[in-house]
Amino acid sequence: MTAPLAEIENLRVAFRNDEGQWHDAVRGVSFSLGREKLGIVGESGSGKSLTGRSLLGVLPSYARVSVDKLSFDGIDLKTASPKLRRSLRGGRMGMILQDPKYSLNPVMSVGKQIVEAIRIGDRKLAAAEAHRKAVAALDAVHIREPERVMGLYPHELSGGMGQRVMIAMMVVREPDLLIADEPTSALDVTVRTQVMSLMDELVTRRGMGLIFISHDLNLVAKFCDRVIVMYAGRIVETLDAKNLRAAQHPYTQGLLACLPSIDGSLEPLPVLNRDASWLEAAR
Amino acid sequence: MIDVENLTVRFSGSTAVDNVSFHVAEGESFGLVGESGSGKSTILRTMVGLNRHWDGRIGIAGMDARTTRQRDLARTVQMVFQDPYGSLHPRYTIGQQIAEPMLINGIADPLGRTAELLDMIGLGPKFQFRYPHELSGGQRQRVAIARALSLKPRILLLDEPTSALDVSIQAEILNLLNRLRKELGLTFVIVSHDLAVISYMCERLMVMRNAKTVETLTREQLRARDVRDAYSRQLLAAS
Repeated sequence: MTAPLAEIENLRVAFRNDEGQWHDAVRGVSFSLGREKLGIVGESGSGKSLTGRSLLGVLPSYARVSVDKLSFDGIDLKTASPKLRRSLRGGRMGMILQDPKYSLNPVMSVGKQIVEAIRIGDRKLAAAEAHRKAVAALDAVHIREPERVMGLYPHELSGGMGQRVMIAMMVVREPDLLIADEPTSALDVTVRTQVMSLMDELVTRRGMGLIFISHDLNLVAKFCDRVIVMYAGRIVETLDAKNLRAAQHPYTQGLLACLPSIDGSLEPLPVLNRDASWLEAAR
Repeated sequence: MIDVENLTVRFSGSTAVDNVSFHVAEGESFGLVGESGSGKSTILRTMVGLNRHWDGRIGIAGMDARTTRQRDLARTVQMVFQDPYGSLHPRYTIGQQIAEPMLINGIADPLGRTAELLDMIGLGPKFQFRYPHELSGGQRQRVAIARALSLKPRILLLDEPTSALDVSIQAEILNLLNRLRKELGLTFVIVSHDLAVISYMCERLMVMRNAKTVETLTREQLRARDVRDAYSRQLLAAS
């Protein structure tokens, strides 16, 4: 196996509560990532988004972060200068967020936004060339009439189109690592399938590493190679996606069991009985 | 219990609901499925009087929704919205939110009934002094359900009641809704984009697309994959 693309060891993220005491939201998370599709699942508040954000270095300034090792493609992010980290973000590491409605600039045409992303990466690039690249990026995410869409504003796009624009904007710089935080939760099921297969295509073709953060266990299992299950700031279980049904931890089993299904029983759904010992569970 | 006939809703030029008809029997749970923008939420909002301009006929428990006073309608049909963060008043305590409809309608002993409702939804009377920001998403959705039940309606309209919640909390809310329907003999209309939720909760469902009805199915037809329309099949495949 080649050297891992990203490594995290013993990551802790804490916030102050109302009384001014520090409260750990992420409590000792470690994993390493190759050029693979890694899913992180858990409920809201389990620390999955914070973990992704720590890697990018976009946590709020009032968060207290401690980590034993944080590296990306051999670069030690713990000691890297803010300037270096800034140049990695958007360039070699990209992030896709949940809701295109709030993540795109509402007063700028999408074409301009993509061109801006390209020219930040390569300031010497001619305007015409950047434009051509942006159109090609929209084409790569299967947007019909990319030239026309370049001139549209975010409010003129549907949710699925907005999300594809955001993906285009991220992959146009050809990052090595893409962090997708609930990229399809705001989308309809039929559109979701399209966006997922699109991301799959781009990640596989360009050999990127992907961290896919979601609360949807089944979606993650269908799409990823490996799944990390988080509960209350810790990793409770790491699984091969294809062995999801063989999950050992009662929390993972509970999450799977509480989902209704089209052909499922009509008896009351099993609910999670949260066990205090899960909080301390080893990896 | 509910008779919707040839309902059409237009918003400045675009048609949100196009000539839709359906009937729901007393005690039945009926699902509306479709993509965003297909008109399913607009139907619910029109039924409770949140849209003024519409054509067609809506009958609710024998009352004509167009001519019945809002106050009488509100005692029969109530709505629960998708986002429990947006649908509760941030500066009212939980007790005030639940008691408000009863105060407006002059119902006796609103405080006693509030405590009773809080018990019914599994939170307990001690929650009446809390504020919405102190509650989790699932707890807030329980409060929204308690408020909807405060006037003892016979019909609950549920607009994506669990899509803002974690799956583990979704299971708790769906179980609660099923229990309440049985105990109180309620009629449900549930809007969802999730066919699994609809199949679990509803005896019949209507698939919608682009403001129009695609087809109406029973749960058995859905489970036997006995669907005629290509779009319904596509929706099933994606779920």
